[in-house]
Amino acid sequence: MFTKFEHFAATSLMGSTEEAPPRQNGHLRFDRDWEKMAFGMAIALSKQGHYEWEEFRQTLIATIGEWEANHDLDDPEWDYYQCWLAALEKLAVASGVIEAGELDAQLAQLINCKER
Amino acid sequence: MPSNYPGFKYSGDRETFSAAKVKALESLLIEKGIITGNTVDTILGYFETQMGPFNGAKLVARAWVDPDFKARLIADCNAACQEMDFPEGMSGAEGEHMRIVENTPEVHNIIVCTLCSCYPWPTLGLPPYWFKDPTFRARVMREPRVVLAEFGVELDESVEVRLWDTSAQIRWWVLPMRPAGTEGMSEAELAALLTPEAMMGVALVEV
Repeated sequence: MFTKFEHFAATSLMGSTEEAPPRQNGHLRFDRDWEKMAFGMAIALSKQGHYEWEEFRQTLIATIGEWEANHDLDDPEWDYYQCWLAALEKLAVASGVIEAGELDAQLAQLINCKER
Repeated sequence: MPSNYPGFKYSGDRETFSAAKVKALESLLIEKGIITGNTVDTILGYFETQMGPFNGAKLVARAWVDPDFKARLIADCNAACQEMDFPEGMSGAEGEHMRIVENTPEVHNIIVCTLCSCYPWPTLGLPPYWFKDPTFRARVMREPRVVLAEFGVELDESVEVRLWDTSAQIRWWVLPMRPAGTEGMSEAELAALLTPEAMMGVALVEV
């Protein structure tokens, strides 16, 4: 019944309150620009076959589980897209899209660039 | 989360850090030729223009201005969708059987569901958080008027409340009442008034 990978990806996350992305008025809700980019990149990489969407889903659930195990459930620091980004980073490395350490190096370069 | 990179002084501002990290990942993927500058925009565009309550709003707005269309929509929702110029995959032509129930001064309808896969997403977009919550479903079945009041919907005692269990077989949704003061509005202006909540029966349409 799914005609679009994007639709499949989004609806497959609606299984539980924890794993589902924030929504508002029937739309996805992004509070910050980087959330959109992280969301889109995770879908893009799976759509291209670098990992199964279910792998991303399970990594996200595990990441959220780790956070919950280490924080109170009403901790105001809770941030869905922080978990999303951590899951994306893990899978990008695990699937060989990027190498371990490569992202930190790029990040350092980016930050140094700005400082110069 | 702090970086493992020792040269980066984690300032505690994880906003800046996360934004920079996403930027770094994006530039890496572009450098490697895995994505291009507009890959993500294309994906986000799908969510912005197709996966939302757009179609439901258009259908309701047309039903409000065209009584014959309204009759067809109520009689056969899927067939009425075919009359609209909807994107492929959004018309309910994939075997998803949709039915709409009309709110009137005498009857107010609410849809409930336990499986989110039963939500009428082609018309309403992505379901709200609370929709799948077992507590919400249990409470709305037991005390619909109390739940409605919590959503800000106060109904006269004389109004009958009907609940519709949306399922894989039939995906119910609600045709809300057209609010007063909208007589001169165009179809597009009317569509802009509609929210998924109104088309689920937990909100009224407000001008």
